[in-house]
Amino acid sequence: MRSSTTVRVIVALLVFQVVGVLAFGPEAFFQTEIIGLSNGLIFALVALGYTLVYGIIELINFAHGDVFMLGSMMAFLLIGPIFAVTGATPILLKVGIILLVLGLTMLATATLNVSIERVAYKPLRNAPKLAPLISAIGMSFVLQNVGLLLAGPGNKSIDNIFGTANVLTAFGVEGITINVQQIFVAVVTVPLLIALTWFVRTTRQGRAMRATAQDPDTAGLMGVDVNRTIAVTFLIAGLLAGAAGVVQILYNNTTVWNLGFRFGLNSFTAAVLGGIGNLQGAVLGAIVIGFVNAFSDRFLSANWTNAIVFGVLIAILVFRPTGLLGQQLADRA
Amino acid sequence: MTAETERVGTGPVGWIGHLVDSAAAFPGHYGRLLAANRTRTIVLTVLAIVALTYPIVYQQVFAPFSRNVFPLPFPDETTVTFMTIFAIMAIGLNIVAGFAGLLDLGYVAFYALGAYTSAFFASPHFGSVSIVLFANVADGFPGIHLPFWLILPLAVIIAATFGALLGAPTLRLRGDYLAIVTLGFGEIVPIFFKNLAAITFTFSIGGATIISLQNVNLTGGPLGINPIDPFIIFGIGFGATSGIAAVYFGILLTIIAIVVARNLERSRMGRAWGAIREDETAAEMMGVNTVRTKLLAFALGASFAGVAGAFQASYLGATTSDFFQFSTSILVLIMVILGGIGNIWGVLAGALALTYIDKSFLPWLGTRVQAVAPDFPNPTQFNFLIFGILLVAMMRFRPEGFLPSRQRAAELSVHGLQDAEEEMGVEVETDNISIAPHGQAETDRSAELPSEEKDL
Repeated sequence: MRSSTTVRVIVALLVFQVVGVLAFGPEAFFQTEIIGLSNGLIFALVALGYTLVYGIIELINFAHGDVFMLGSMMAFLLIGPIFAVTGATPILLKVGIILLVLGLTMLATATLNVSIERVAYKPLRNAPKLAPLISAIGMSFVLQNVGLLLAGPGNKSIDNIFGTANVLTAFGVEGITINVQQIFVAVVTVPLLIALTWFVRTTRQGRAMRATAQDPDTAGLMGVDVNRTIAVTFLIAGLLAGAAGVVQILYNNTTVWNLGFRFGLNSFTAAVLGGIGNLQGAVLGAIVIGFVNAFSDRFLSANWTNAIVFGVLIAILVFRPTGLLGQQLADRA
Repeated sequence: MTAETERVGTGPVGWIGHLVDSAAAFPGHYGRLLAANRTRTIVLTVLAIVALTYPIVYQQVFAPFSRNVFPLPFPDETTVTFMTIFAIMAIGLNIVAGFAGLLDLGYVAFYALGAYTSAFFASPHFGSVSIVLFANVADGFPGIHLPFWLILPLAVIIAATFGALLGAPTLRLRGDYLAIVTLGFGEIVPIFFKNLAAITFTFSIGGATIISLQNVNLTGGPLGINPIDPFIIFGIGFGATSGIAAVYFGILLTIIAIVVARNLERSRMGRAWGAIREDETAAEMMGVNTVRTKLLAFALGASFAGVAGAFQASYLGATTSDFFQFSTSILVLIMVILGGIGNIWGVLAGALALTYIDKSFLPWLGTRVQAVAPDFPNPTQFNFLIFGILLVAMMRFRPEGFLPSRQRAAELSVHGLQDAEEEMGVEVETDNISIAPHGQAETDRSAELPSEEKDL
């Protein structure tokens, strides 16, 4: 991110705070903002998957939201029926199980994502651009139905294992709630986001990814194994989607087989908003979309939230296809 | 062919003259068709006869057999009607996605607009007014009641207007971004229909109220609008309870859709669509007005879905926003891709086959399976698992569909080769690579044209 952009983002955030407090009153505004931030961090994990894949092979990986859904479904099965974690489980055991579930789910979704790439996208590498997109839509329906087969048509819920205590009471703040789930969301997502940035910026494989994103052919000529790099990208996207699935089920305590469609479109909107192919942009876009969701749910009506998100998506694609922060790659639209 | 010189007049008189001419010329044309390509003509004739007699045969033979002897998955009247509805939609989507190459993932929006046109203009929904125009209800009956021959044009106009409205801002976009914008549009329209049930909205400037809406129920909300008048011609209703009448109405609409689409494909506009599909920049250089061409593709494609939606709502006699989901858009897309994108006959076959599988075969299989193994998951629930696998497999193994259009088959199969050659600086002449499925030369096609299409 260039420093001028950083300044602009910070200024925009500050203006938003002032306007929001004046419009809605401090308590309602900050409370909604906290909810929006928690949603946004989960969106960010999924949005990064879209942006990484689009950055490298220019594919809107439609099935990505459903990989996330299967992650949350798997976490539901592990935490609910298999390990039977409840609020009463001893704290150390709880942390251990969560770490185990996180590891297992991330591993599973990463494997799944790489397999999807192998089966559905790799054979279409030289096909017209819309062929892999249609293949991805087909894959999305397949995964949704796998979720339906696994868990049945209803909502799947687990106990709230963190309790409803307000962390802020310890600091003497009244009227605004930050609960343990929201802390948990930040504790899992923020390190993952930092780790991803570190990976892409400094490692050899990360450099290969950036090179492939810029120009796959030239990268191949320079000795980058393009197929392997693409597989690694899908692996990372899958890891993040799995983590998002676990965080989602522990935050909202419920999941459903068609969660991936809406959640995926929210995240995709976030990726486009930030400038698709741009990692920081995806996180920023996700937080904005999280805010949009939270504010629309609270101050307008939850019925209209999806229409607003889709409206934002269309408006960006039509009027500013490069997104807020701009794409890292030229001529996308 | 001689009809050109014997034109008796313009307007309705001329149309009737043309019809008479075509009917008179039909035996001769049919003889020429038979001589030109015997197998094809005979197969098409048999298929046409089967289509036209199926409803009666079903009623007299298949239905009693299924009921009394052994249940077999014959498509019933409802299924056949829906086969025609989806056939119209698939033919319409083929105009946007097949002819013009603009991938529309929100096609269901126009289906919804058509359905709600029926619902608004032929139902007791707006009970505070009473507008009865040529309709088969008593004067003074609450609500707006228009006859079907006004509803269908209205549905066409509304759907086409929204098609152009969607098209206008997306003209710059290509490929996948366009697909996502259309998807968003396809999601927003049903959300509007779902939510515009209790609108309370006041807009005032300086104390003077400009607009004030108090609890306005426009769309019936999640419950939708119910009942909707069936289409009525000479006292015969075409609703779900009227048996085979609706089926024939659906078949008639499908035939009209095929004829219109065939004529569009061969028109100047159809060639312009082909040109922008192949290469938009080149088409623009050659003088194709890309703005007009794309907008017309969106508008005309949408109008087919409008007709399908209007017919569907009046056929079922009710509509809710839940009918119109993303999965329906994708179902129609799968029909188009499975059949052969760009080829009307392929698309028609895809629509008939998939609707049949979805509405008749899977439910039948479901009851059979449940009878044997009650614990086994019901296949009707997993129709989209099958369709999803189908989509992935088609893209990988046969992207041009089962009955491909020749141009698209050539595009899709030589694409890889072309890319490779281009990189080496060698130019490939696509014209030299001929992929004609039955070994026909291009000139054979004009001899095969059925007479009606040339004269309409």
